[in-house]
Amino acid sequence: MKDKLVYLCIGIALTVLFFVFREDVYNAFYYASGFNDQLWNLGLYDIIAIITIIMAWGGAAVYYYAINSVRWDRWWHWLVVLAVITLVTPSICYAVNVHSFSEAGLEFQLEAASFEVGNLLITALMFIIASFSMRWWSSNCRHTPIPQ
Amino acid sequence: MRLFLFAIGGTGSRVLKSLIMLSAAGVRPVDENGRPVPNVEIVPVIIDPHKSNEDLKRTEALLTAYRELRQRLYGNAVNADGFFATRFVTLREIMSEGSIQLNDTFIFNLGAVEREKFRDFIGYDTMNEANQALTSLLFADYQLENKMNIGFVGSPNIGSVALNEIKDSDEFKAFANVFNQGDRIFFISSIFGGTGAAGFPIMVKNIRQAKNLEINNRDVLRKAPIGGLTVLPYFNIEHNEDHRIDKADFIVKTQSALYYYKDTMTGANDSNLNAIFYVGDQEVSKPYTYDPGEHGQRNRAHLVEMVGALAPLKFAGMPLNRLSDPDGFPLQTSAFEFALDKDERDVNFLTLRATTRRLVYDPMVRFHLLFLYLRTGFRDQVGQGFTEDAPKIKSDFLNSQFYRTLTDEFMRAYVDWLVEMHDNNRSVSLFSLGETDMNRAINAVGTRKSLLGRKNVDNNVFKAEMNRLSRDARYSEHTVEYKLLDLFNRAAQRIINERYEAIN
Repeated sequence: MKDKLVYLCIGIALTVLFFVFREDVYNAFYYASGFNDQLWNLGLYDIIAIITIIMAWGGAAVYYYAINSVRWDRWWHWLVVLAVITLVTPSICYAVNVHSFSEAGLEFQLEAASFEVGNLLITALMFIIASFSMRWWSSNCRHTPIPQ
Repeated sequence: MRLFLFAIGGTGSRVLKSLIMLSAAGVRPVDENGRPVPNVEIVPVIIDPHKSNEDLKRTEALLTAYRELRQRLYGNAVNADGFFATRFVTLREIMSEGSIQLNDTFIFNLGAVEREKFRDFIGYDTMNEANQALTSLLFADYQLENKMNIGFVGSPNIGSVALNEIKDSDEFKAFANVFNQGDRIFFISSIFGGTGAAGFPIMVKNIRQAKNLEINNRDVLRKAPIGGLTVLPYFNIEHNEDHRIDKADFIVKTQSALYYYKDTMTGANDSNLNAIFYVGDQEVSKPYTYDPGEHGQRNRAHLVEMVGALAPLKFAGMPLNRLSDPDGFPLQTSAFEFALDKDERDVNFLTLRATTRRLVYDPMVRFHLLFLYLRTGFRDQVGQGFTEDAPKIKSDFLNSQFYRTLTDEFMRAYVDWLVEMHDNNRSVSLFSLGETDMNRAINAVGTRKSLLGRKNVDNNVFKAEMNRLSRDARYSEHTVEYKLLDLFNRAAQRIINERYEAIN
């Protein structure tokens, strides 16, 4: 039980750290002057980071506690969920991004797409963190993707 | 409490086989309130000179497998819950170091009885002419020529002489020495054959007259609570010109023996037995192959044997004050019979009366579901879900001695037992044989209705339930064998309650 809580706490801590250092993290994956400045000016780092966290943790929660099925307990099932989350999340973020820029009269579609490629990796990482934080209490999928 | 269980003759072995099956399922002695009786250990002793009897060999093999499986599951613990809960031990296992040396076997060594012709055994050739004439009046020629390693071929008059030697055997002395206050004795025998009909009263007499024997525990032994299952005629045999065993004699032999039992064991003035259980069936069974013993005698299992196997369990659960007076002497013999709820040829769980059903339904269904699960689902689930919790069940478990004994040996015998009972008359149809769909596995009992049709039971339902139980339980201190069977037992109990129609 203790071990499981440690994993959960580590996951939460990493997620909080990600949110605190969201700008640095995103800039490390993709930086284009002008584009990133506008992200900051429009407060989009916050929104994208929150969407990413909610999608990753929410997706993991759905997999481990809503789906939680013996028919969906193999590593490739988990991989399918990861793939869906890592594709859907950047898509949503891209839509939010482009919409906010167009409302501000800005055109950064190409940069936004490149930025979301980086966000794709961050989402995947966040989903993995969320999975290893919360899977231990799932009745059917706690050994997915890697046995305890 | 130790229950010394003497299974005498072919019927004794067959009833014992049914008891092993029921015990494997987890059927246990219960008290009058239906609670399991704690600390019960069964010491089966098979008495049969016919060592090549196939029924005896099958029972012995099954006992050995049972003991091996239980040892792996619970070690030497007497109390357990679930499959293979009841502990079966040999006399050798429980006796202390001493002068008596016994083989570690469930079979009573009858010494010379197993080797000699009856005429040699009684020294016929050394008798004077008058005694020979008297002996010839008491025994037919074929009986005198009977080589007793094939049994007493339905001749209790041979058995009553030959088995009198038992009291001097090492096995009997060992039994007498380990018998303690609080232990009980139970006999299983048929009344219409040779070995059982003769062996039962002789053994009871020797125990009640223990004060004359040179053994320890005389007083405890002669006051021991003794029960007996007397199996009345229940099977038919094929007609044969050789009339050494003839179905027409069964009733006559039974009547004679019952009178004798009344005079020596169960009568108002001769209550040497504390309890006696009668079971038989007038419904004619499918005829068994005529075989006085030379060809191994392998008879189909029968409902009567399964029902009979409940008798020692009932006896073990009876309160002592219903068996003995405050000084330990037997009260008037309590006699029990068995009846079905409906007099039908096809027996399913609904044909049994409620008291029997309450005792056997849940454990037997759990065991049958285990059989189906091991056969159709478990192998594919190794490496997933609950098998990954500590202690991990890895794929090499499938090649372990335990798993092979359970699936190849025990479960195969279980299927044979079910098939034999099903193919007999009455036909025992508790389960749909050959049916691997768990929803339809129990005859006359379906799954519960749900909003969309009926509730489903399959290997995935078991996997999900075991996953849940394993998550919440701690098995790291136990063996993988215990973990698998305990998890399944608990999962099955829940699934039976939630998903199958309630019949109890």
